[in-house]
Amino acid sequence: MKIMLWGINHKTAPVEIRERLAIASDALPEVTRQLLQAPGMQECMVLSTCNRVEFVTLHEEQEPDLLEFLQAHFAVDADTLHPHMYTYREREAVQHLFRVAASLDSMVVGEPQILGQVKESFAVAQSVGAVRASLDKLLRMALVVAKKIRTETQIGSSSVSIASTAVELAKRIFGSLEGRQVLLVGAGKMSELAARHLLQNGAAPILVANRTFERAVNLAQRYGGHPIRFEELYAHADKADIIITSTGSSEPIFRREQAQKMLHKRRGRPIFFVDIAVPRDVDPSVNRLDGVFLYDIDDLQSVAATHLATRGREAEKAERIIQQEVDRFQLSLRTLDVVPAIVEMQKSFENTRQSETRRMQAKLQSLTPEQKTAVEALTRGLMNKYLHQTVHALKAAAREGDAATIKNICDIFDVDTGAMPPVRSQVVPELAVAVAAAPEDAFSVDLLGDDFAGSVPVTVGEYFLDAPLVRREKGD
Amino acid sequence: MHLLWLRVAAIFYCAACATTLPAVLYRRPRLQRIALPATLSGFFFHFVAIVEMLSAARHWMPVGMHEVESVLSILIVAAYLLVVFTYRATGFGIFAMPLALLLLITPAVGPDHATFNSPMIRSGWLFIHVGALLAAYVALIFSLLSSLFYLVQEQRLKSKSGPAFLAWLPSLAVMDSISNRSLTIGFHCMTLGLLAGSFIAQQSVGAAYFLDPKVLLSFGMWVLYVFMLFMRHNVGLRGRRAVYVSSFAFVVVVSVWIANLFSSVHRFPGP
Repeated sequence: MKIMLWGINHKTAPVEIRERLAIASDALPEVTRQLLQAPGMQECMVLSTCNRVEFVTLHEEQEPDLLEFLQAHFAVDADTLHPHMYTYREREAVQHLFRVAASLDSMVVGEPQILGQVKESFAVAQSVGAVRASLDKLLRMALVVAKKIRTETQIGSSSVSIASTAVELAKRIFGSLEGRQVLLVGAGKMSELAARHLLQNGAAPILVANRTFERAVNLAQRYGGHPIRFEELYAHADKADIIITSTGSSEPIFRREQAQKMLHKRRGRPIFFVDIAVPRDVDPSVNRLDGVFLYDIDDLQSVAATHLATRGREAEKAERIIQQEVDRFQLSLRTLDVVPAIVEMQKSFENTRQSETRRMQAKLQSLTPEQKTAVEALTRGLMNKYLHQTVHALKAAAREGDAATIKNICDIFDVDTGAMPPVRSQVVPELAVAVAAAPEDAFSVDLLGDDFAGSVPVTVGEYFLDAPLVRREKGD
Repeated sequence: MHLLWLRVAAIFYCAACATTLPAVLYRRPRLQRIALPATLSGFFFHFVAIVEMLSAARHWMPVGMHEVESVLSILIVAAYLLVVFTYRATGFGIFAMPLALLLLITPAVGPDHATFNSPMIRSGWLFIHVGALLAAYVALIFSLLSSLFYLVQEQRLKSKSGPAFLAWLPSLAVMDSISNRSLTIGFHCMTLGLLAGSFIAQQSVGAAYFLDPKVLLSFGMWVLYVFMLFMRHNVGLRGRRAVYVSSFAFVVVVSVWIANLFSSVHRFPGP
């Protein structure tokens, strides 16, 4: 089975192209279902956000014609699409998917929404049956890697927009913004945006002062706040913890003396001024007062730019983590490839063991049931012990991509892996993962499902071949 | 046996110190997951060691220098854990854990040879006196630390381009709250400690005890503490001025403690 990732994003296609391919969330299940019907397609997932449309597919030897699919479903001309699209295969596809989930390929590197969007697409693909063992493993790994990067790097730790920077700074002063009073002086777009961010983070109630009182009333109503007349501004200003100013005044509205009086009334409790106005509404000398923090538009922009630069540095660390995880994933895929050989080998050993036991049955007639169970356990134990080294060697060879050793081992034990159906499409995912991840000395995989009353360990071979289960003593 | 537990605690504190610093400064969650369990384990063994040490010595209060250091150390760790679980302010560990380790090193190295045979050391009043005053010292240490952190964070916010390695500093509100709470707890502990001490002195030495200028200094320290609390609650003392007052109070408290070590009347002679 082959992995392919096809798509367009904000770097390769203008919005005119992206909007033609954009898939609404309610149409996503149907599109995924139709994509799954494409010839040669085995598993798939469709990711559609405002900045990208991507198709992750697992297919047989022959690649499905995705351009044809898009032409049929989106009425987009292939010649129009072709210059904007990218196609990644195998390792590159895995790497790209990991980068997307970790927000390294986003317009704003480190933004957190993309991870949620990947999860949603994954859930949709699962719901329509487009995700089975292999793609499930790949997508889960992508989510794990994204979370690892969020935890181990600072990629998403600081804000990069003016409004969210103001919120972050307010949190550094007041801790939680729950119940903090916000005063909006002037009703500009930017200040309204900052106020909305603060309210979303728990700040309330909001006071609005504007030279045109009606505008203050309108804005206050919109956010459940209280309007105040501009002439009464200084009488109410000391109640506010956060003051956002954006008036068109040519003279400062808040001077040092006024700020000092406000501080006195507040018994030294801090005040945070966010001055978005140009020319500025707050005298810069106010920042020199103990307990007053003043950020103008340039300061906010500069903090946001610093955070963006930090994200860039963290992205380099994240890229290194991605490389390691892609290697790990490739390795686990390789180990999965020898599962059929292991299964076949155990089947062969088990057949030999059973035929030898049957041959000796006449001589074992006199044994008690307990003794027979002990003999059964002994032969099975010996078989597993002999197989252990071989399995170890097979997995090691698979990890190193040593095809010659794998072939030699298979020849020695007369294992015909080519005769077996493709394993990754047949293997129960949990079991395949368990085999791939199992320690070298744990050849048997215990399935303690309901069917086995929670007590019967089952070998890999038995599970795959649906052979009659042989009850064994615990501790085999 | 208590020495063994103290050494185990010291090893855990050592691990906590080594991991807290990078965990906080470079925001390493993995190290944070080691630092806190190491601190908790150290605290557990330290507690076991102190209980064993005091019960072996057949008294319930720290009297020798080693015992006092050990109790002071565990109180610092307890206060730090309280701050972590209440405010998630792990940054205090950068200073609190090395200080606790430093205080624990001497007691963990070997036994204290100085013995105190005074029957008073089994008095409940003396236990309250010593325990409450040690707790007050720890509260003052945390008040000073949080005031210092407040000052640094304030300067960082005002300068608008503070160094990135200080990003771990908690918010001003959190540090103000820690500072206020530790001052209030410290005040109650100090009042209790001085009252218990006065009661003992009145019973054993009489009024003459209060003529010792060093003892009087202790009461002066209490008055200063009241003044500092009054200023914080009524004037809203924060930032630079709060650091000055906290540092001054801390220096006075340490001076009083040292002075009392040399006091002729603040003694517990054997029978």
